[in-house]
Amino acid sequence: MMALTATPQMASWGRWLGDALGTNATGTNAGNALFGIFLSLVVFLIGQWLFKISKGFFLFQPLFVGMVLGILVLAILAHLFGTDTATFYRSAYLPGGNIIFWFLNPATIAFAIPLYRRNDVVKRFWPEILLSLIIGTSIALVLIYYVARAVGMDNTGIASMLPQAATTAIAMPISAAIGGNPAITAMVCILNSVVIYALGDWLIKLFRISQDPIGAGLGLGTAGHTVGSAKALQLGSIQGSMAAIAVVVISVVVDVVVPIFAMLVGLK
Amino acid sequence: MPTQPAKPVATPAEKPAAPILIQMGIFAAILFVSSLISGLFPPELPVPTPVVGLVILYILLATHALKLYQVEKLGDFLISLIAFLFVPSGIQVAANLDILRTQGLQIFVVMLLATIILLVCVAYTTKLMIWLRQHVFHGDITVDADVDGEGS
Repeated sequence: MMALTATPQMASWGRWLGDALGTNATGTNAGNALFGIFLSLVVFLIGQWLFKISKGFFLFQPLFVGMVLGILVLAILAHLFGTDTATFYRSAYLPGGNIIFWFLNPATIAFAIPLYRRNDVVKRFWPEILLSLIIGTSIALVLIYYVARAVGMDNTGIASMLPQAATTAIAMPISAAIGGNPAITAMVCILNSVVIYALGDWLIKLFRISQDPIGAGLGLGTAGHTVGSAKALQLGSIQGSMAAIAVVVISVVVDVVVPIFAMLVGLK
Repeated sequence: MPTQPAKPVATPAEKPAAPILIQMGIFAAILFVSSLISGLFPPELPVPTPVVGLVILYILLATHALKLYQVEKLGDFLISLIAFLFVPSGIQVAANLDILRTQGLQIFVVMLLATIILLVCVAYTTKLMIWLRQHVFHGDITVDADVDGEGS
């Protein structure tokens, strides 16, 4: 970790703030988890408030607002401290951010509950569910490959885009294995979720899939991962259940299909 | 064993929820076992802990080893928090602003299109599959939109 007080630009009030953030001269991070947790809560609550007073304007989705505001605050503070945003993020925000991030583990597991609540649909439609996810994702891979080609991405860029249907923990190692940049892949996976959370309802209506709860659920789970599943649950119990099963099946599909596809198109 | 009253068919809300610490214990135990299982997968075939955990909890529920009242309250609470829990991941982009500065537009365009492509491809394939079930195999495709009961 970088000891921020080491930078000469920092004024005395900055040292005080630095101590409060826990990024003191000793370089330890004791206590600074509070800043990350506090910032995350504040920006998210501002997002909720904006979403409410704008009567649900899609750009004011709490998650999106929280993300943009959070990065903005970190960038401004980093500037005041005379360091760059990435360093400030790692030393001041990450310890607290990681604590919140950890809770995504039990939260993902919890999606077994909405999945099980609609076990009747799972039991009857499992062949359709499996086939749709495997075939649909494979078709999507080909299209994503050509879109990436069309905007002029190099092989590293394309390899970074292909595994994005899976959650970050799967997509990153696969991306590295097929010659992509795991950092880009992680970012893309995260942005997928943000996009689906903000635009999910609208896209479902635009492409006329709202009459089709199974398809809508599987699509949202594939494109938006765990956050997409939360969105799907808001639409209905079948949608939520299908999104949860999509998150699981897509993990395996991406594990197996993406490396084969990358080999076929000669990425590595 | 003494005779027990007949079990109701699909009434998950009948029983009072298990104490929240017990529910946390169940989640923690599943997470622990999942992390052990997740470690068994080779690096070429990564299956992360939470995905393993989702499958384990589903199997436990489906085999009636666990009942909904033992996990429902904590589970629904965590799911309701998902968007907030994802804020640190969103802010993680701050660590890679330099990548965005050089090739941000390209990445953003492909990411946006890819998200839509994934959603539409999977949803339309499902539509086709269900159409096949209905018209080629003459299967029943009616589903109860909002039965919030325990899947048998």
